[in-house]
Amino acid sequence: MKNIVVFTLLFPFLMFSQNFSGEDFIYLKRHEHIDIKLNKGNFDITKSFSEQGKFLTANKLYFANESIGFDGFSAIEDIKAYTYLPEENKKIEVDYIETKRAFDNGIFYSDQESKTFTFPAVKAGAEIHLEYKEIVKDPRFLGLFRFGTFVPTESTKLSIEFPKNVSIGYIDFNTQDYPINFKEEIKGNNKTYTWTVNNMKGFQGEAQSESVLYYLPHIILYIKNYEDNGKTNNILNDVNDLYQWYSTLVDSIDENNLEKVHAVAKDITKSISSKREKAEAIFNWVQDNITYVAFEDGLGGFIPRSASSVCDKRYGDCKDMANLLYEMLNHVGIESYRTWIGTRDRPYSYWEVPTPIVDNHMINTVIIENDTIFLDATDSYVPFGMPSAFTQTKEALLGIDKDSFKVIKVPVQDMDKSVSEIHSIITLEDDLVKVDETRSLTGYEKVDFISDYTYKKGDKTEEEYLNTTLAIGNNKTNYINITKTNFDNKNTPLVLKYNLNIDSYAKSVANKTFINLDIDRTLSQSKIDIEDRKFSKKIDHKFKKKFVTTFKIPEGYRSIDIPEELVYDNEKFGFKISYSKEGNVITQHKLIYVNTLSVDNSEFETWNDFIQSLTRAYKKSITIERI
Amino acid sequence: MIKNSILVVVFLITTNSFAQFYKTYDWKETPEIHQLSKEEQKEPSVGILKKHVVEYAKSMFGDLLKVYETDHTITRVNNDKGIAKHNTVYIPMYEVINVLDIKARTINAEGKVTVLNKDNIKEVKNVDEYGDFKIFAIEGVEKNSEIEVLYTVEKEYDMHGQQNIQGEYPIREAQFLFITGDANAQIKAYRTESKFESVTINNTIGKLLTIKNIPAMVEEEYSTPDANKIAVAYQCFPKEQNITQEMFWSNVVNNVGPQFFPEEPITVVTDDLPNVTSGKTNLSVFEKANLLDDYIKTNFTIVKNNNAELSDVNYILKNKSASTFGILKAYAQYLKALDIKYEIVITANRYLKKFDPDFFNPNQLQEFLIYLPTEEKYIATDRLEYRVGEAPFNILGNYGLYITDSLEYYFSKIVQTDPNFSSINRVMDITFDEELQSATLKQSQEYTGHWSATSRAILNFYPEQSIKEYEDYLTGSGIEDKVVESYEALNTELLQLEYNKPFKTSSTITSESLLEEVGDSYLFQIGKVIGTQSELYQETKRVNPIEMQYPNQYDYTITIHIPKGYTAEGLEELNIDKSYKSVKGNKLCKFESSYKVEGNKVIITIQEFYKSNEYDLNRYEEFREVINAASDFNKTAILLKAIE
Repeated sequence: MKNIVVFTLLFPFLMFSQNFSGEDFIYLKRHEHIDIKLNKGNFDITKSFSEQGKFLTANKLYFANESIGFDGFSAIEDIKAYTYLPEENKKIEVDYIETKRAFDNGIFYSDQESKTFTFPAVKAGAEIHLEYKEIVKDPRFLGLFRFGTFVPTESTKLSIEFPKNVSIGYIDFNTQDYPINFKEEIKGNNKTYTWTVNNMKGFQGEAQSESVLYYLPHIILYIKNYEDNGKTNNILNDVNDLYQWYSTLVDSIDENNLEKVHAVAKDITKSISSKREKAEAIFNWVQDNITYVAFEDGLGGFIPRSASSVCDKRYGDCKDMANLLYEMLNHVGIESYRTWIGTRDRPYSYWEVPTPIVDNHMINTVIIENDTIFLDATDSYVPFGMPSAFTQTKEALLGIDKDSFKVIKVPVQDMDKSVSEIHSIITLEDDLVKVDETRSLTGYEKVDFISDYTYKKGDKTEEEYLNTTLAIGNNKTNYINITKTNFDNKNTPLVLKYNLNIDSYAKSVANKTFINLDIDRTLSQSKIDIEDRKFSKKIDHKFKKKFVTTFKIPEGYRSIDIPEELVYDNEKFGFKISYSKEGNVITQHKLIYVNTLSVDNSEFETWNDFIQSLTRAYKKSITIERI
Repeated sequence: MIKNSILVVVFLITTNSFAQFYKTYDWKETPEIHQLSKEEQKEPSVGILKKHVVEYAKSMFGDLLKVYETDHTITRVNNDKGIAKHNTVYIPMYEVINVLDIKARTINAEGKVTVLNKDNIKEVKNVDEYGDFKIFAIEGVEKNSEIEVLYTVEKEYDMHGQQNIQGEYPIREAQFLFITGDANAQIKAYRTESKFESVTINNTIGKLLTIKNIPAMVEEEYSTPDANKIAVAYQCFPKEQNITQEMFWSNVVNNVGPQFFPEEPITVVTDDLPNVTSGKTNLSVFEKANLLDDYIKTNFTIVKNNNAELSDVNYILKNKSASTFGILKAYAQYLKALDIKYEIVITANRYLKKFDPDFFNPNQLQEFLIYLPTEEKYIATDRLEYRVGEAPFNILGNYGLYITDSLEYYFSKIVQTDPNFSSINRVMDITFDEELQSATLKQSQEYTGHWSATSRAILNFYPEQSIKEYEDYLTGSGIEDKVVESYEALNTELLQLEYNKPFKTSSTITSESLLEEVGDSYLFQIGKVIGTQSELYQETKRVNPIEMQYPNQYDYTITIHIPKGYTAEGLEELNIDKSYKSVKGNKLCKFESSYKVEGNKVIITIQEFYKSNEYDLNRYEEFREVINAASDFNKTAILLKAIE
């Protein structure tokens, strides 16, 4: 028995030294206590935070910069903060706190503010202590608690104390691998739930990974209901209550002066008879004419602005565009609904998480001849009929009427909808490789190309931009005669044409010349570093790339051999490359497909196998010899 | 009745004698859409008019000067990118006392005019380090619309000001109107041939600069576009004062200087010295300064907020927190206590502003350095990754105001004193497995100067993902299928007591993709082992002067062990020799590679260097050839041919 005690005493110490050596900064403590009081049907909600951090080295003293955010739904009070220097047993108070705003790239105006300050006198060994309160002004915004954060935490605790007649719901995510303790206590008229966990590791994001909410252990709390004189009053008992609330917000949409909006809708569709085409025309009009400008301002962040003002001002955010579409579409007789949705960054379901945290976006849904079509006009280039890529797989909450709603899953778009077809004719003049290439892009392949071209090209010339993004041949590839057709949001493929001169690509030694027909090496850099990689790999959309490459053997040469067919076939990803020769023309057919939106950790080996096979296939050159 | 008439009279007098420009200036009653040329139609946006007016006017009572600034722009937006760039407006409220008017309107291609609803102007307080703003989104914008914004603010009197004239988009006509009446005023325009003309506006004297057809300032490699824009700087002070540039500079030196050169250090500082030097004695000046630099950077924090106490030396020493300005006082105290001779340098980030010693403009006093004249080295007080050495690269090449301990001053270009400060040395050994399926690259590298500062900064300060990406770079970038068999970094700590001690790595990687099968022989992509090299493109005429980050040099030795049964062919293309010579014939930058065969070994030597960080814009093509030579080498391959 004695041995076991010693062991358990030692164990945390060992865990500590294992976990936190090599760290620069850790949290000794991150505690949050939520106190809920109910007073004649009104909630008083206060969150009390108590945190302690420690600098193990002087490398990341920037952790001394603290910023506590709040907005129209919350207030920050009673900040007490100081630095403690254990060696000198000295306490130095934070004596200056500023209220600040920041400009966000994505949101033009936001009521988000922060209390910012810097802990004084931090150095290796220093501890920082912070306590403050957050007043939660609306009972629907209890928020979420993260059991882990950027750096490791020794002691993590969340507790919530509430009157017995209140029912609290909670749901945790990604906690299965961590020994989180849960305790329920009843004291007098109050109940307390407490979650504790020790020695939680740090969580840092990775490139091309799902959002942090997919792997960070966290919990969402919400008030389900409370009982009052035998009557149950729901707050957010389930998705019905969430919808009821959304419904009251919709009621307050300003519906004045809709005539103008209706007139525009009529005008756009006057010469069209089919419903589908009418819907498409209206959707394209909103995509083309309303610029995305986002506002987040208290409840204003939840209530769409009037369709007529959005139409006049020609700008709006997601909910403004969704509501404008709603007014226009219904006016011309198309069944259309305002639709709430969470983007792929939020891994939640309305059925599990009946709180406003579940969604962060609004779109419009139309139903035409039993066909459900999701319309997201914030994506200026997505073609009618396809949802925005970042809403695939997500539940859409359609507001049917004041009391009823429907939850429908946005389907993943088939890989055959997003196809790049690349036709290349390669010739060789001395050692210069010349290519005549046509790329035809559909679906998300088209959407991505146009958005990147519009917003990421910067000051680069078209030639340089294509060279650095398409990465065909090598970075000395020279682009000429570039043309783009159907550079729009329509369902017709975007066609990109150009001629290429690729210097230093073919290699000649003695009477032989070697040329590799894989001038486009899609995915060759996508190997996953399995040893260090922690989280699943995110893929924005399913796609296919089909290549047909022909190579004309120059006069006076003959080809020695052509590579064999290579195939990698898997349900989720694969390729097939084959070569054929007819007369003096060698043709390469190449198909690459990715038929999944995510590569899980368990699939990393297979994925790497696929990439390795592909890069090996890319290595196959053609040899021609002077006759 | 009598009262009223007095009011009217007073009002009349004021309008007559102080008819400020903004009161009589307005936009056209009805806007009209402008015709664009074919070239202009291709641009995301085009500035039709960009007019800025600064008026120094006497206030109603006495001679105190007031400042009014009017900004008027008409901008055509042709596509989504143009709309996104111009459809939100941020008006800084820095020094603004009154917003006199803000208005905006849009005219679309069909001639429909939408006027901004002023209720939609939002106020945003205390944004980051920039202060307050008025912001609004332009209403009624569509593709091919013109956006017109006109506003006037009254500002606190400030003797100095500056304004950028050029934009990131082409501008048909830009005007800067400077109205100063009989006050003393000076104005200087930068990077334009256009001249000011004298004008009389409402009986007041002013100067007008008009520039037509200004090209867009573009981002280019090896350039400082933000600092290269056409701009003006100005000064205006009451007519009875006559202030020369020398007086302005002396004023700064006399105000700021004494704070940086204490007569005696404060006792807490002298008491703290053993913590700085760890009790060591007989330290050289460099060692003392270096230890001090490290001590401050690991015990003090630079804070960016509005707390005035962050410049107070006692507060700084107690709270170990300081502003970027205040931290110099902490350094000064310790330098004095350590008996190290130093000077204070005030300058600017060359990527944002070119420091002009001939025209005083407080806006160029942004960055501080400490110069150690005996060592000819700098302390970059607010740059955590640097220890005593050369000036940070974003300052290198700019002029600076140097203040000595006797409170004298001089200007000097901030140059690198050690020409070989930054270098990369690589030794690489390449072998192949028996089946010639994969190549093994064993590599040891040494990084000095700015290279080592950057490397250490990333490894010490950055999050995991960035460290991972950097390690990928260090072990050979662009080798897509590489497997890192081993990797080790040495001398990673920021504090190195030895001057410019190299940061070292040794690594072994394997790769299959470097070898391509061609019949019974193999193509070995030797060029790829030096990592991805940037290629300088230039389809359009180069705009910006050439400024590299810093002078640096690369020395590589690559040994390839040719496998048994094979010979190496196609080696000729490994010989590359490109250079850019000074007028006297010295090579200022070059890329040279050559090979020799010794038994079964091919030994490649590469030397690439850039002796200066500035090159002549007129010789851009020569510079480009040197830069691209490395990229040429990157494409080379040799044939491992089976011996028949």
